[in-house]
Amino acid sequence: MNEQNQVATREQTTPVQTAKRMRVVAPLVDIYENEDELLLQADVPGVAKEDVNVRVDNGTLTVSATRRVNGDGNAQWLEFGEAEYRRSFSVPQTIAVDKVRAELKDGVLTLHLPKSESAKPKQIEIKAV
Amino acid sequence: MWNNWNEVDRMFGAMNVLRNHFNNLNSDFERPLGVNFGWRNMDRTPLTNMVDNGDHLQIVAEVPGMSKDDLNIKIQGNYLEIGGKREVKAPEGYRVHRSERGATSFTRSFTLPSEINVEKVEASLESGMLTLTLPKAEAARAKQITIN
Repeated sequence: MNEQNQVATREQTTPVQTAKRMRVVAPLVDIYENEDELLLQADVPGVAKEDVNVRVDNGTLTVSATRRVNGDGNAQWLEFGEAEYRRSFSVPQTIAVDKVRAELKDGVLTLHLPKSESAKPKQIEIKAV
Repeated sequence: MWNNWNEVDRMFGAMNVLRNHFNNLNSDFERPLGVNFGWRNMDRTPLTNMVDNGDHLQIVAEVPGMSKDDLNIKIQGNYLEIGGKREVKAPEGYRVHRSERGATSFTRSFTLPSEINVEKVEASLESGMLTLTLPKAEAARAKQITIN
């Protein structure tokens, strides 16, 4: 009997997700590379600059951004709502993390991920003897 | 046997986690028009919201990466058409690793629930969202009726 009570209490204390979760959406991205940097562009319509979060951690680049929707009035149709754009990428360790640059324009997030000096191709000069 | 009670308890815990997980899945499926979870909008027509504010309608559309010159909005009576195009070019001198965004062009048309005062329509574009404010024609507005 005691054990049954235990089950009951356990059931009650199971964490129930009460807060309505924001929908997580993977943004579409383009990724380019040249000798100096990796360039990433992601569609994140409706996101304000201060709601973007870019993190590079141990070879993983995580981009997350929240899009808020303020709509008052009587909805006729709603195809999108508040959402969190989130996507992670594996990036080489050779990214100069402290030099990563982000821009946000027209709902497109552009990330410049410069390669560290040691990872860039080096031109070797042949010395005349 | 009761010494193993922790095991059973843990199993129940795991089942609850699983159940919550499925519940969450379900809630995503059941959302009206919200089925495009994760990889979405691959047909590249912009998603829109429309609200009725009494004296005007407001339509918001997702148009990332488009400038105002790329968009084309037409209204006639209660017929609205939004068209747009976007060119995505790989920047000069870069190799392409992944290309999902792509160039797109679209037109989407709507039949609005009421006549619109075409002269007073306003459109604004901010951070990839196009907002159209469409004041209703005088005849279509809600009228206050006083009771005699």
